[in-house]
Amino acid sequence: MPGSYRIGVDIGGTFTDFTMVDDRTGDVFVEKCLTTPDRPERAVLEGMRRFKQLRADTLHNAEAVIHATTLLTNVVLERKGALTGLLTTAGFRDVLEFAREMRYDIYDPFIEFPEPLVERPLRIGVPERVLVDGRVHVPLDEAAVRAAAAVFRKAGVQSVAVCFLHSYRNPDHERRAREILAAELPGVEFSISSEVHPEPKEYERTSTTVVDAYVKPTAAQYLDRLSAELRADGYPNNLFVMLSNGGTATAETTKRFPVQAVESGPAAGVEAAAHYGRLIGARRLLSFDMGGTTAKLCVVLDGKAARTRTFEVDRVQRFKPGSGIPIATPVYDLLEIGAGGGSIARVNALGLMQVGPDSANSSPGPACYDLGGEHPTVTDCDLVLGFLDADSFLGGEMKLSAAAAERAVRNKLAEPLATSVVEAAWGVHNLVNETMASAARVHIAEKGQTARNLTLVGFGGAGPVHAIGLARKLGCPQVVIPPLPGVMSAFGLLTAPMAIERPRAVRRLLRDVDLAELDRWTHALETEAAALLPAGGTLNYACMADIWRVGQDYPLEIEVVGRWSDAGARQRIEDAFNREYAEHYGRVDDDTPLEVVTLRVKAWQASAKPVVKPGAAGADPQPKAQRRLYVPSAGGYQQAPVYARKDLGPGSRIAGPAIIEERESTTVIDRGDTLTVDEFGCLVVTLASQEAQ
Amino acid sequence: MQLDSVLTQILWNRVLSVADEAATGLIRTSYSSVVRDFHDFACGLFDIEGNLLAHSTKTTTAFIGVMPYVMRNFLEHFPVADLQPGDALITNDPWQGTGHAYDLCIASPIFHKDAIVAFSICIVHHLDVGGRMATTESKDMYEEGLRLPMLKLYRAGEFDPAIRQIIRANVREPDKMFGDMRAQIVANNVCGRGLVSMLEDYGLDARALLALSHEISSRSEASLRAKIAEVPDGTYENEVTLPTIGNVSGIRIKVALTVQGDSIVIDYAGSSGEVAAAVNTTFNMTRSYSMYPIKLALDPSVPNNEGSFRPVTVKAPEGSLLNCRPPAPTWGRTMVCHNLPEIVFGALAKALPGRIMAGSGATPLVFTYFRAKRMDGRTYVGITSSMGGLGANARTDGPTARGFPYNVGNIPIETAENDLPIIYLKKELVPDSGGPGRNRGGLGQTFEFVVADGELGPDGPMVVGIRGSGRKPDSPYPVFGRLGGGVGRGEHLMLNDVEIPHGPQQALRPGDRLSMALPGGGGFGLATEREPERVARDVRLGYVSVQAALDDYGVVLDAAGGIDAEATRKARAARA
Repeated sequence: MPGSYRIGVDIGGTFTDFTMVDDRTGDVFVEKCLTTPDRPERAVLEGMRRFKQLRADTLHNAEAVIHATTLLTNVVLERKGALTGLLTTAGFRDVLEFAREMRYDIYDPFIEFPEPLVERPLRIGVPERVLVDGRVHVPLDEAAVRAAAAVFRKAGVQSVAVCFLHSYRNPDHERRAREILAAELPGVEFSISSEVHPEPKEYERTSTTVVDAYVKPTAAQYLDRLSAELRADGYPNNLFVMLSNGGTATAETTKRFPVQAVESGPAAGVEAAAHYGRLIGARRLLSFDMGGTTAKLCVVLDGKAARTRTFEVDRVQRFKPGSGIPIATPVYDLLEIGAGGGSIARVNALGLMQVGPDSANSSPGPACYDLGGEHPTVTDCDLVLGFLDADSFLGGEMKLSAAAAERAVRNKLAEPLATSVVEAAWGVHNLVNETMASAARVHIAEKGQTARNLTLVGFGGAGPVHAIGLARKLGCPQVVIPPLPGVMSAFGLLTAPMAIERPRAVRRLLRDVDLAELDRWTHALETEAAALLPAGGTLNYACMADIWRVGQDYPLEIEVVGRWSDAGARQRIEDAFNREYAEHYGRVDDDTPLEVVTLRVKAWQASAKPVVKPGAAGADPQPKAQRRLYVPSAGGYQQAPVYARKDLGPGSRIAGPAIIEERESTTVIDRGDTLTVDEFGCLVVTLASQEAQ
Repeated sequence: MQLDSVLTQILWNRVLSVADEAATGLIRTSYSSVVRDFHDFACGLFDIEGNLLAHSTKTTTAFIGVMPYVMRNFLEHFPVADLQPGDALITNDPWQGTGHAYDLCIASPIFHKDAIVAFSICIVHHLDVGGRMATTESKDMYEEGLRLPMLKLYRAGEFDPAIRQIIRANVREPDKMFGDMRAQIVANNVCGRGLVSMLEDYGLDARALLALSHEISSRSEASLRAKIAEVPDGTYENEVTLPTIGNVSGIRIKVALTVQGDSIVIDYAGSSGEVAAAVNTTFNMTRSYSMYPIKLALDPSVPNNEGSFRPVTVKAPEGSLLNCRPPAPTWGRTMVCHNLPEIVFGALAKALPGRIMAGSGATPLVFTYFRAKRMDGRTYVGITSSMGGLGANARTDGPTARGFPYNVGNIPIETAENDLPIIYLKKELVPDSGGPGRNRGGLGQTFEFVVADGELGPDGPMVVGIRGSGRKPDSPYPVFGRLGGGVGRGEHLMLNDVEIPHGPQQALRPGDRLSMALPGGGGFGLATEREPERVARDVRLGYVSVQAALDDYGVVLDAAGGIDAEATRKARAARA
């Protein structure tokens, strides 16, 4: 029976994670392999081989293999992309290098910026000019485009980005330039800004288009290779790729706009959190993914994640906004913080404790790995506190050294600060939680939300260990730890719909705009989007409008229900904007007219939602052991029961303090917290109090 | 409660993030690109004594050292006992505030459990406050627009209707101004909300917050003092003559920087007196731009707060250009005070040779101010701005086109052409503009725009305030290099191909072309010590010409761009 399995593959820096759901039985399978950076598809095929051992018909009967990867981000980080040319309006070839002309850190006397992806000799201006209202001021000089093509050919350019001023308003020159270049440069890839990101602000648009062009040949080659290998192994269907803003597209579509897939892995994690939010009926979530080097947070409302257009890759200083290369196409608005299990704790020059943002990574790793690491990390402190157990880390496959952890904490923290080992360890645990909470507060405020209304969904290796403490600091009343927290991104790949989004610039006052014309544009975008999805499935569409008050710069995304020309639609859209605006900014005494900035159409095909089968119901689970745990509310160690997650089932109820262990993570609750297991197998923790520790 | 090393760091991080939340609220509710793109604002959080606890990461540097004094001035004027929730205080007085009337300083008390526990300030540069606007030609402050003395703008959440009417009657774009004033109130509200939630989370009261403030201030102070103590004691001097501004020539700035133990005194005695151009600087600005270079050079990584100011004393004779008295006109004070960090660096470099960056081509700020009416009747007020190259330092080449010492962004071309009746003709790097050196100065840039005609154009001539750099390589005040590094190059300001003065307003008509070039940054170290490979790379990338590679660096390249090692050795030997 064809179309029985769906498989998710998430290639991360260290591990490639696999999930597979059998849609006939609902069974979910999980695998993990080491990533093979030179040939990422090798690890993918290894995972498939393992699944085949479980189910021989895995690939032949697979409906979809859905993929997320950090490959494209790494291509930019390591500058391993295509030799890329950039065609601009004459006189403006240095936009890419000017950026916004700011210093991202006013106190860095040695400030540095990322090298532009296109060097100056391959940035070529050609005479042409479109004005702000879309009128052609200077016609395109086609001979100059051919001359540029000759330069690109001679240099061996493999990919070309085209970005002309105001092309978001009138794309004719960019399209014509591509036509000419394509004829002159067979085998070369092209990205034009009016298709990649048709919105004003030339630096952000150019940067986005250049990243797209830069990764395009690599993306195409890799996806073609992987598709061919899977096909050779018997997989009959399209390969699908997760996009940075949720949804999935075919490999063919991804090859056309690869910039949309640079944050695919983290987006898959958010999809998984949103999926559980929908399942358990929580409308407002804070998705919290904490791994070895970073923590990622994202606000998810009504199943939809917040999105941003200020995403950056290749930051010179990883956690300093403004120090990287901007990608302005919408991506899930993830807050990335330099706080993970491997984050190093130290006493800084001011005599204060500091955690991160640097990490011990996997080599030498935390001191407790006993691989030569001398610096205490968050994981070491969690071990000292009893949040982790030396014998059950990664299901006992990796023995940790409690003595090494304690030694590192003593030497590097407790003694310099003249305090005890346990107080130092608790200080680190608490500080890393506060570091995440501080950053999260700004992020949550930016989304116009308050933490008191958010349910925190924790996953990643270190997420469940820190989720409760973080929630307490933020004031989130409830924490949910879904099943399989260690492979949530790969699981998220199975929950996202097949989806693609196409934008078009508008820039008209809502009160004046020709609604019939907007309907025509919407329809054209629907047709365009539908062509990018696999044929056959039932298509759904949503139309969103970015709207602001004329004169402002931060639009709100308003969903357009029905047609623009429906009776009363203009007023409904205005009302929806005003409601949203009041919610974000709390003020309504502003009657500045509204402007429709951009139209976006999203098309998607729904897929079946996998559900991990929970264990057998059991209201009264038995602990497998007791161990010494630092209980924050008590300010010291106590004996606490340790439960195996597999022994818990729907209806199970545990009062804190307690520890719940599973293979890839550990959940720790405090005195007064209560944990129940819901019908989907999620651990649902209701916090005792919202006071800080 | 006891402030141990962990809790102190936790709360310190928290107040820093509260200040950033305030800035986010401001940006997202603002109506002007001056806030959103240019970032000419600051948000600050203060304890009940008026000590600066934290400032927003996004900020222009000038306001950091001004805010504490604005706060104190407010507190002297408005007894704490008279303030109630929802009150907001305002001033744009150049002496009480930031040195010109364009910056509206708005402060709000933060209440917790019915008592004031702290204050927040949000300062924003507004584009118009009436008067002649944006020109060095004003003869006194009365020509420079509406002056708001220390006033209570909001009383218990209500905008004072009398102040609103006075503003409406005096400025050109009152609605835009009210929009951004509301955004400032939002910033203060967000700041207050964030701080109160911290106090609630940790069960802190006003006294505990004060203890925290003292703790982090004393740590910042001790850290800077320790760094100052490493600088050899002595008095280090510097003196420069600024380029002609409007019709005023020969403005002299003289500084004596005395290091004694762990303190520094910066004295501007001997500098020029007040001038008949609107570039006089109030002492608040002089002090702020003298503090910033000390922090940047000696202790950049520790957060800035009240304690960071204590080790440094700044003096400028009353009635001098750097401590002007009312009613001196002050609009373009940054044409003077933006130079102070570099001048202080010039003195400090004598104590710490090899550790101080070279001069920057973006100093002082270059920009154009526009106001007019479009053909369709809409009025507009707007700016454009661009940066020269950053100075090189001991470790790296200077980055291309970045602001210094202020930190504002450019206005995107596509935004400027939407806001204003202009069409850019070009905006490009200028090869060879970076000062030669072992580390090269960042490249400067040139841009040119034409005033639009027809539908997109202005309704008649438009008044434009224009400030270029004025720092020419062969003048007494070029963009200086350090340790033998060359000066930054490439500077002009031309209207229809004719040089015009910096500062006075111009009337531009459709078809007029304004062209400006901003110099590159100064070089660091001897150019002949730059590795030939790095010179060849600069040539390949079009940053340096083949001729300049030879003339400035003594590097001989063949037709393919390869290094002729033998010829290079000879060329360099001839220069040694």
